[in-house]
Amino acid sequence: MTEFAQLVVSALGFGGIYALAALGLNVIFKTSNVVNFAFGAMATVVALLVWTAHTSLGLPTAAAWVLAIGGGAALGGATESGFMRRVAGTPPIVSIVMTIGLLLLVEGLAGVIWGYGPKTVPTVISGPSIAIGPVSVDRNDLFVGAFAVAVTLALNLFYQRTRLGLAVRAVAEDPEVAALMGVSRRWVLGLSWAVGVALTGVAATLAAPAVSLTPTMMDDIAVFAFAGAVLGGLGSITGALVGGFAVGILSDLIAGYVSTNLQLTVVFALIVVVLYLRPQGLFGQAAQVRQ
Amino acid sequence: MSRRPGRAAALRRGGQQGDGRTWPSWTGAARSVARVPVLATLAVLVVALVFPRFEGGNTTVMSLATEALTYGLVTMSLNLLMGYGGQVSVGQAGFLAVGAYTTAIVATHFGGLPFIAVLALAGLVTAAVGLVLGLPAARLRGHYLAVATLGFGLAVPEIALNGGSLTGGYTGLIVPPQQLGPVMLNNPVPVYYLGLAVLLVSAAAIRSVLASPTGRRFMAVRDSQDTAPAMGINAGRTKVVLFTLSAFFCGLAGYVFALNNSIVEYSSFDFSLSLFFFAAVIVGGLGSMWGSLIGAALLVVIQQEAVSLGGFSEAILGVAVVIVLLLVPGGLASLARRTRDAVAGPRLPRRPAGPAGSGPGGLPDQRSSPAGASREG
Repeated sequence: MTEFAQLVVSALGFGGIYALAALGLNVIFKTSNVVNFAFGAMATVVALLVWTAHTSLGLPTAAAWVLAIGGGAALGGATESGFMRRVAGTPPIVSIVMTIGLLLLVEGLAGVIWGYGPKTVPTVISGPSIAIGPVSVDRNDLFVGAFAVAVTLALNLFYQRTRLGLAVRAVAEDPEVAALMGVSRRWVLGLSWAVGVALTGVAATLAAPAVSLTPTMMDDIAVFAFAGAVLGGLGSITGALVGGFAVGILSDLIAGYVSTNLQLTVVFALIVVVLYLRPQGLFGQAAQVRQ
Repeated sequence: MSRRPGRAAALRRGGQQGDGRTWPSWTGAARSVARVPVLATLAVLVVALVFPRFEGGNTTVMSLATEALTYGLVTMSLNLLMGYGGQVSVGQAGFLAVGAYTTAIVATHFGGLPFIAVLALAGLVTAAVGLVLGLPAARLRGHYLAVATLGFGLAVPEIALNGGSLTGGYTGLIVPPQQLGPVMLNNPVPVYYLGLAVLLVSAAAIRSVLASPTGRRFMAVRDSQDTAPAMGINAGRTKVVLFTLSAFFCGLAGYVFALNNSIVEYSSFDFSLSLFFFAAVIVGGLGSMWGSLIGAALLVVIQQEAVSLGGFSEAILGVAVVIVLLLVPGGLASLARRTRDAVAGPRLPRRPAGPAGSGPGGLPDQRSSPAGASREG
């Protein structure tokens, strides 16, 4: 029982990372109906920016983070206005091809700029683990998990309580009526992409201390985030949080009880089963599946 | 000059069907099975046949040539799925891995089997996997399907890693050489010819499938998943058949891959390989078998130069995909077609044109150039 509890608690860190990445995916999917397959590479660029600002430029951690997140938001906005806007309203395969082209492009350029040697980024919080009875909790994991929950709450508040959030929901619901109401679709999509890429960038930066930071580090993490987003329901904010943590806990349990080399397989099986039985996920709306 | 009323409008309108939802017009030739340029085919075939006469002694070059044949078959199978069937796969390397591992396992444990049986098993086992993946895929569209196939592509190498003595885990499996009649397939030249034969037979088979009612059903489902059922087509079953067929041909490619590399390792089939196949199909041209072969050949060249190019090799593929998407709908194959049209005038009659959707063997293009019109007489 203790071992089980320990495994679940240990999943706080990576569960939070998957949740943040899934949030980034769903923020974009909610308004644009596009799954950003390039998110892994874009997120890694943000993490590499943190490394550059911190290590090469010698900026303090907080400043490095702000700079990199700003960079991620700019990258997201530029992706929307430079590329995705040109294929808006096309069949899904066109935007899939586009995001996969961007994945290759961004990942390749990141390799050209930063090289493939692994880099290190410090954890945000360090210090001894906290003991809760027989279970020990890593401080950084706790922070990451709490941060994911806080971001989810903030996003929900934004969507439900602010005028801009209302505008975003209007575009997600019915772009044409939203346009009639004076909502700028371009603005909303640009904002969604900026926030989405910045969020996935945060996820990558938080993941970087645990894995080696290279341009391809997110290739594997990405599938866990996709699984989290699919399980929670593509486009759903709360779903991304629940799905991300669920995938984190599941893969931790698999690693603890079965094998450390089976996580991708189990997560793939999870994706297929969820998509087969309930393609809209736990929190999604059925109508969205038939895009 | 342009036959299309603006690229953006054409993309949005969705093919020549005008239903605005289902398929972009940049599939070009995929409207119907494109005609084979006979002379060009013969020329390429002759080059492919005599190639080992000149380079046969160079094992590196021969192995790369066989790799190009393997990749060509993989991209063809992916093009069958994407260009003609309208379904996405971001995990095609997974099927290649299943075919290659099946070959290695069967050849190790049943050494006495004739080569054709091993080849058939590689195809059939992969087809069975494609069938299983096709069942959920039949219910999915667009992005959902892409996510599922992405998971598949990542899971297969991991399963192989966990296969214990069956798949050899980290070290992989040595592929025992196959016997083809009196010829031992342990030397690059016979493997090359075998790969060429498998590619040619598969290409012919894919073409005949596409020309059959089954192929028409693939294209009907691609063009509209909503109207295909109205024509009496079971869209779900059609998609399952499509996935099974695509996997089958990819499994055959896995057989050639296994023989060519003589070792099958999980690390050969990583996620980026799936992405590269995807890019090769797009760059070559969706819905063009020739385009797939060109894309595969480019891929082999780029991979070969990857050591010196570093990240540029990946970036080049990415740029090529984006450029094709935005500027050259139809890929390199359509460039070749356009060049030929510019030089010799469009061939008449050509594929069905115009929003009326005049059906196979339709009317000559109304807006053909004077040069083309004079050729008609």
